[in-house]
Amino acid sequence: METRRTRSVRRVVWGGIALVTIAALSFGSLRDAGPLTQQDRIDSVTKRIACPTCDGESVFVSRASAAQAIRAEVARQVGDGVRSDDEIVAYIADRFGGEVLLVPRGEGLDALIWVLPVLVSVVLIIGLAAAFRRWRRVEPVAPSRRRSWMVGVGVAIVVGVGGGVLVARQAGQRLPLQTATGGIEDSTASLLAQARLAGGADVTSAIELYGRVLETDPDNVEALTYRAWLIMLSARQFDESLRNQAYASTITALGRAIELDPGYPDAMCFLGIVVFRDGGDAASAKEFVDRCLDREPPAEVRGLVEALKKEVDDVLGE
Amino acid sequence: MKTARIGAIGVAAAMTMFVVLLLRTDGDAGVGARSPLLGQPAPAVITTTIDDRSFDLTRRKGSWVVFNFFNSTCVPCIAEHPALLSFVAKEAARSDGVEMYTVVNDDADDAVRAFFAANGGDWPKLRDSDGAIAVAFGVAKVPETWIIDPNGFVRLRIMGSVVEGVLEDQMASLRASE
Repeated sequence: METRRTRSVRRVVWGGIALVTIAALSFGSLRDAGPLTQQDRIDSVTKRIACPTCDGESVFVSRASAAQAIRAEVARQVGDGVRSDDEIVAYIADRFGGEVLLVPRGEGLDALIWVLPVLVSVVLIIGLAAAFRRWRRVEPVAPSRRRSWMVGVGVAIVVGVGGGVLVARQAGQRLPLQTATGGIEDSTASLLAQARLAGGADVTSAIELYGRVLETDPDNVEALTYRAWLIMLSARQFDESLRNQAYASTITALGRAIELDPGYPDAMCFLGIVVFRDGGDAASAKEFVDRCLDREPPAEVRGLVEALKKEVDDVLGE
Repeated sequence: MKTARIGAIGVAAAMTMFVVLLLRTDGDAGVGARSPLLGQPAPAVITTTIDDRSFDLTRRKGSWVVFNFFNSTCVPCIAEHPALLSFVAKEAARSDGVEMYTVVNDDADDAVRAFFAANGGDWPKLRDSDGAIAVAFGVAKVPETWIIDPNGFVRLRIMGSVVEGVLEDQMASLRASE
């Protein structure tokens, strides 16, 4: 016959074993492996990415040209030192899709890979425990026992799903770029894209967005050019003194953009348009327009400049 | 009995939801292929042409841009070439015609020059020596064709060969949606 003391000792022993196991597992999974060399980082990242054109091979082992290109990109990004390993994996997954992740993500549909085994295991363990208890009993199950059995199933599902989600969060691939940790480069590109979209319909917002780009990147040629251009267009509806101020600041900004990137056609084209329309200087405008057309401007800008060129030529009598 | 029926209905409902979910995530049919980049600003592309002229995609905002990822030894690339020539010829007549660029994938400049000298196509050919452009767009196999709108957003991805008329139709619907 088991005494109360023996039972207590046994519980303490089992509790101790459980505690040591959890501590050892936690230490093993969370400990810092120490600093890695760049090559270690490249190897570790490429082992986490599947070759997109071959079956069952990681980018680390594959010799396919797509795998080589990805390896080169990983090496470049590791060398740049801007993105973490997780962010580099996220960059590749953003381009090629989640299929290239050898360690599935811990969110969305992919999380089922982590959640289902834990859920099934917990349900099976609780089911087995219930079955053993039932086999030891001979009397029929009372209605109250049936209710407690259903509660048990509910608990098993909750524990299983909860455990699975925890495992998914801990072991699943995390993609930082899909959350909120984009770099400056991504933010600038995004702001420029938003400004571009706003440009035609909401000039004030577009000017503000280009201004935000210039706060982080004062030499951004696109932002300098288009902010100046939109300011000049907006100023045309105001009085002369405001127009003169806008003219001066636009010429300065466009001049700065051309200085930074002499090959950028848009700045040269807008300079020609502004100098002619707002400065009334046809001779200078002609020079800028000709230079602009030599630089092969994009279709939208070319359309504006070609229309202006005829007017300039008429004024100059050519 | 009642419990078994409820269980069966539950399993059937779960399976139906799963199938619906799978059907929804499988994307839609059609010419365009899926890509996380669709509707997003195009990746940065700064490179040189095989004639050593510089190229920066951000400088092409204001034009429709078409990238065709190409290799001169790839049979589907060779097969689609007449369709590209015809498309570019039609676009050249428009004031807002697209700018076509070939992105050379894992191929030598001389081989590309020889191919275009023999088969026509005077648009710029961009170098992608280390595959950075292909990776940025998630291109694993050629040919692939991408369309970027004048605001710099990725609008369409076509995997594999394009046939005559496909690009014309796609551009017409993209322009109509502007």
